[in-house]
Parts: sequence; structure tokens; C-alpha cells
Amino acid sequence: MLQIRNLCKNFGALAATNDVTLNVDEGTIHALIGPNGAGKTTLISQISGYLTPTSGSIKFDGQDLLAMPAHLRPHAGLVRSFQVTSVFPDLSVIENVCLVLQSMNHQVFSLFRPAVADKAERAEAMEILERVALENEAETTTRNLAHGQKRQVEIAMALAARPKLLLLDEPMAGMGAEESRQITTLLDGLRGSITMLLVEHDMDVVFGLADKVSVLVYGKVIASDTPRNIRLDPEVQRAYLGGHEFHDRSA
Amino acid sequence: MISERHLPKLMALGVLVLLLLPLMLNASGSSYLISTATRLVIFAIAAVSLDLLIGYTGLVSFGHAAFLGVGAYTVGILSFHAYEGDTFFGLPGTLSGLIVLPLAVALSALVALAIGALSLRTKGVYFIMITLSFGQMLFFLFVSLEKYGGDDGMMMFDGRITLPGLDLNDRMSFYYFCLACLIAFFWFCRRLVASKFGRTLQAIRQNEARLSSIGIRSYTAKLLIFVIAGAGAGLAGALSANHTEFVSPALTHWTRSGDLMIVVILGGIGTLLGPVLGTIVFLLLEEFLPLILHSVGLDLLSEHWRFVLGPILILIVLFAKSGIYGLLFRSRE
Repeated sequence: MLQIRNLCKNFGALAATNDVTLNVDEGTIHALIGPNGAGKTTLISQISGYLTPTSGSIKFDGQDLLAMPAHLRPHAGLVRSFQVTSVFPDLSVIENVCLVLQSMNHQVFSLFRPAVADKAERAEAMEILERVALENEAETTTRNLAHGQKRQVEIAMALAARPKLLLLDEPMAGMGAEESRQITTLLDGLRGSITMLLVEHDMDVVFGLADKVSVLVYGKVIASDTPRNIRLDPEVQRAYLGGHEFHDRSA
Repeated sequence: MISERHLPKLMALGVLVLLLLPLMLNASGSSYLISTATRLVIFAIAAVSLDLLIGYTGLVSFGHAAFLGVGAYTVGILSFHAYEGDTFFGLPGTLSGLIVLPLAVALSALVALAIGALSLRTKGVYFIMITLSFGQMLFFLFVSLEKYGGDDGMMMFDGRITLPGLDLNDRMSFYYFCLACLIAFFWFCRRLVASKFGRTLQAIRQNEARLSSIGIRSYTAKLLIFVIAGAGAGLAGALSANHTEFVSPALTHWTRSGDLMIVVILGGIGTLLGPVLGTIVFLLLEEFLPLILHSVGLDLLSEHWRFVLGPILILIVLFAKSGIYGLLFRSRE
């Protein structure tokens, strides 16, 4: 579904993305792990169009992504969430979701009909909020939410865009244990219907969810394999996992 | 403070007062103030249009007076050629309001499209500077129009534009016509900001960078609202030219843009009603502050009344975060 070939991104002398080749197969949850500064968010930003690569190619669903402006990528089914919470703080929670729905329904330029009159849109938004367990906060101004709840809004917005491929940049960062479990279950339930590229630091989440894991170190993919093999890979152990033992929950 | 729930009732009351105002002024023998009231109504149209940019979209446009100028000069130039009986690029002049007003609005929208298409590629301080520059460019363009009075501007010798069934040269009729324009434009803007497009505008103000990730190109939305606001200011400019029966570059000077910004901020940005209140307070101060200062014996200050206006503005901006609107109304939350 997503093919990245020889992708490079240089910031001056720094090679933030260094000859990355990566495939994300349709229907899988593909985790991307690596130490801080490995270039995970930089890679996500290039796939979503926030950054332009220095060289290389990205194909999505057979289309050349680099020729596609960032704002058209969500309409093609490529949607991202943000590591640093990025919501619309003065809109209510449900309006954040409705805004995504109106974009997907091509109603950005609906000039006269009152936005609140679209009952179908609100019902759909409410359904999505229920999935991320935010239905009780629908009318709350988003800036007044707790940090973990804002992370849930972020997920709700991503789901509202009806993604085929979801780029999740540390979706659970800053969530409480309970919320984190909820979202993990939610993502697990979406397996097969939505392809995901998941950046995550919580190894329990990664090894519990991922069908495949790629390890990024200094902008390079040093390994890309099943969770079991990744754990046993001596190079990965050395570079990142630091010799920690991980419980194999899938076994 | 009043709850925002009572807003519709209060606005209806406000409209009623504006409707009865000329009658009250006539009855109290101060009918000359109808002209001041008309000026207020026209100024409010321009202020409301600027609020769409500053308050809702977060676009601090410092060249809004340019569109006043385009509207006014459309009226002025057509009137000039109608009076002279000659043509303008092969087109005859006219005083017919049914032609002049739509044309003034359309041309302002067109100029806003051109200015917006370039300016909206910049952000923040650069956007303020580039809109200011475009405003000044138009100012000097109008100054250089020797045929149309250059620096001094021109009189509309044939009087105001004509409309079927309405004598705009009658000051009562003209006041009511301007008021109808304000109410229609205000209603239009209320619908606009409550629509899905309005929601998009607020999203642009709050977190523009996020929009492309949910499939919205903010540039297109910003351009559309810039054009709509420009058209609104163009309407105000066209009415203003008719009001004074005089058109001059002074209308597009950057201090005019500044006055408009002051009014919007003073009244309360992002409220639409605020800029109308701001206009009332600003023009009342402008009208009566010199008189008040004179009557308490501060003659020197009365001549330099802006010296007193400044601190008043600073106090309001410092102590009332959402301007006069914020002082009067308590938000629903």
C-alpha cells in the first residue's frame, strides 16, 4: 500500500532520513520504532506532505505521492495524527471532528447553511467520539480538556478522515494507562480495515499490536521484520532495545 | 454584564433605535445629525467586513481602506463622465444605482482577489506590511489620477446615484438606504460565520498548519473571505462617496485603515456586533470629544482631540480583552 524508495532528507549536513526503503502492506499494522532523534517524525512528515524529501520516492496506492499536495493526501486516504497535540483549541470537541467530516464531504465552502443544522454530520461525529470514549466531552471547548483527552481528540479526528492508511505519530504519548489501553484495543479492532504505520515508544503497545516492526536509527532502517525476529535481532538489541527483555504477549 | 442569550432581542431593539433615529433627531430639531448617523452606518459596514478578516480568520489586514477607495472611485469616475457627457474606455458614465453599486462591489472584489492572491502567500507581520503596501499603492494611484482631481479629489456635481422609487438626494431616504445595506450585510456575515465555511475560518485562526492534514487548503478559504471582506468595504466606499458627494484619495490613506482596525479592536474582534458598537463609540468621540473639551475650557486639547482619544483607546484595549462587546456581554459558557 505504501512504498518508500531510497528516501533522503537532509537538513544542512544532517541526514535526518538516510536512504530509507520501506513497504507497508495493506491491512497490516506496521510499527516504526527507534531512539529519540532517529527521524521517525521526519519520515511521517514526508509521507504526509509537511516536508519535501531531498531525494527518493514515495508511492501510495500506486500513485506518486510527491506529486500530490499535502492537502489532497487525506482525500486519497492518507491521514496522519500528530505527536505534539494539534487540535483547534477554541472549537468544541465535536466541532473538531465535524471540521474533518466537512472537509471529507467537500463542504468547506458551504457558505450559508448553519453548520449546526447538519444533523447527519453531528451524528457521525458523535459515533466517532463514542469509539474513542469522548462522548461525554462532545460540547467541551477543546482547550479545557485534560492532556490525555486531547490525544483522544487527535485520534477521533484521524478516524473521521476515513483513512485507508493511518500514520500515527506516538498516539498514546501523554495518555493515562486506562485511555492508552482503550486506544490500543480500538486500533487492534481496526486491524484489517485500516492500514497503519505506528510510531510508538511503549514497547508493550508495539509488540502487542504490530504485524511488522521497522527500526530506524540515525535516519536509517536497520531492520524490518516480524516483532519476534526484531526482538531477537542482535543489531536492534545493541542500537535500541539496550538488551531489555520483553514479554512476548502475542505468544 | 448581559448574557449572550439576550443578544437577538437586543439586536432587534438596536435596529428599532436605528430605524427611529432620524425621526427622533428631526423631532428634537437636530436633523443635521442625520448626516452623522449616515456616516456611522456606512463606517460600520466597513468595520464589520474587516472583522471577518481580523476577528474570524486571524488575518490582520492593514490595507482595508484600499477597497473603500475602489468602491468610492467607481462611483466618482462614473459620475464624472456622466456629468461631462464623455466616455471612459469607450463606456459612458452613469448615475444609475442599479449599475453603479453592483459594479463598485464587483470591482472591489476583483481588486481584493488580486491583492489577496499575492498577500495571502505571506503570514503574520509580513501580511500586515504587504497589505499596508498595497493600500498605499492604491492611495498613490488615486493621487496620480490628475483627470479625477488628483490630490484634491473630485465633487460629484450631479449629486448622488439614482435608484428607481427612491430619492437618495433626500437625506432621510439615503440614511434608510444605507441602514438597509448595513442590516443586509450584517445578516449575511452572521450567516457566513455560522456556516461550515465560518467554522473553517475559525480553524484557520486557531491552528492553520493543521488544516492540510485534514484535507483543507487554507489559502483558498482565506482568499474567498478576503474577497468577501473587500467587496463589503467596496460597498461602504461606494455609499461613502454618495454620502459626501465627494471622492478623494484621503479615503484610502493608511490612517483610514488604521481607524478601521481601531474600531474593530475597540468594539471586540470576532463578534461582528462589536465593530458596530466600536464604530458608534469612535464616531461619537470624534464628533463630541472636541466639543466637550471645549466646553470644559480645554481649548488646546479640543483642537488636538486625538490626544485624548488615544489614552481612552489604550485603556479600553488594556482592560477589556474583547473590547466594548466583552464589557457588555457575558459569553454563554
